Amino acid sequence: MSSDDLFAAEEQIIAAAQELLQNGRFADRVDGKLFEELLKDYQKLFRTTRRLMRLSDRNEEQLNALTHEQRKANELIAQKNKELDALATKLSKYLSPQIYHSIFTGAQNVEIISSRKKLTIFFSDVVNFTETTDKLESEDLTNLLNRYLTEMTNIALEYGATIDKYIGDAIMVFFGDPESKGVKEDARACVRMAVAMLKRMRELHAEWQELGAEKPFHLRIGVNTGYVTVGNFGSDDRMDYTIIGSSVNLTARLQSYAEIDGILMGHETYALVKDEVDAEEQTPIKVKGFAEPIRCYKVLGLYDDLVGEGSVIREERDGFKVLLDLQKRDRAEAIAALEAIVARLKQ
Amino acid sequence: MRDKLNIEATSRTPAVVFDFANHHMKISGESYPEDVTEFYRPVFDALDTYLGKLGKGTCRFDFELIYLNSSSAKAVMMLMDKLEDAAKKGAAIEVYWFYDKEDDTMQELGGEFGEDLETAKFHLEKMPG
Repeated sequence: MSSDDLFAAEEQIIAAAQELLQNGRFADRVDGKLFEELLKDYQKLFRTTRRLMRLSDRNEEQLNALTHEQRKANELIAQKNKELDALATKLSKYLSPQIYHSIFTGAQNVEIISSRKKLTIFFSDVVNFTETTDKLESEDLTNLLNRYLTEMTNIALEYGATIDKYIGDAIMVFFGDPESKGVKEDARACVRMAVAMLKRMRELHAEWQELGAEKPFHLRIGVNTGYVTVGNFGSDDRMDYTIIGSSVNLTARLQSYAEIDGILMGHETYALVKDEVDAEEQTPIKVKGFAEPIRCYKVLGLYDDLVGEGSVIREERDGFKVLLDLQKRDRAEAIAALEAIVARLKQ
Repeated sequence: MRDKLNIEATSRTPAVVFDFANHHMKISGESYPEDVTEFYRPVFDALDTYLGKLGKGTCRFDFELIYLNSSSAKAVMMLMDKLEDAAKKGAAIEVYWFYDKEDDTMQELGGEFGEDLETAKFHLEKMPG
């Protein structure tokens, strides 16, 4: 049915009305004039109706075309988003998860900007890495190094570390940015992580020897707490989210002074973690750029672990705290000290 | 009577510039107001007042519409009626309908509106530029 057919009835009415006028059917001229005016208005209304219907149909047609275009655009956007997600997933492997999250949620801008914060920094290095892996083929070395870094990274992420960078076999991470649980808890998490890494290394020794490393990997770890400048450094085209400052250099120095498979902490870290970490003060070390020798502490273990092993007895209640470190004093000495306390209590 | 009526365009309503002193009126842009009556009432009122005093004077009215919905089309027809009535009373009315050269719909619609004007002079032209 064409659009003209839609209005066939109206067309017939107009034709009939025009015939009435032409045949002079109106005896009364006034009535005839009124009828003529009425017909004219009807014809105008008829034209308006047809015009509005056409306009409405055209607008609907345009709307449908736009909807179709929009649907195609949405499909294209979805496809591009999928590609972007895949690319972002690949890129994310080059960034610490916290940094990746901060950037992709918009919490952090990718621009040259920095701030000063108190962080706990961690450095680890494989002792004599080159010598240890010298006889390995490139593929075996790659597998060994990647396995080591993967294991250590998993532990770092489990404890909430921000992975700053890998420098060959060395790992640098920090706690306290972009997320922080407070300076004390950040320091504790860092030392707990360091202890967990050494524990995992011991488990992996056998596996690595099977892979061909004549000597198993051993680590030196340095941990230090202090103010650093944290942020994006570099150029507008290539930047790194990292930390700089004397505390960073000091951490690297502590790591180099640590014993093999040992953790050496700076004084501020020690002060923050001493409630749950057993440590022993070492001879202060001289570090370039620091006027005074640096006080440092060797980590002996976490009290929770040491209590389990029986090398520490620890009782703590409100107003009452006993810590017996049987690694540092023998049992007889501890008993004598406790008996002296009991005697004083009885007085 | 005031010299001008100026209504700025929005995303849904056209710009209205009635320069009564120079007898030049213009409506341009897109027209699909939420409430057509509310939008066009002051336009009708201002035009009625102006045309009521125009007598045998001259007036030019430009339509430069990109898109209009059905209700707005009815409002445009009412504006055309007012202009036609003034022309029948002796005013020299010139109505210009500008359309985008790639918009057949607005060209056809302008042509149809022009058919209703018997006394007012109608011009159907492409938008400049």
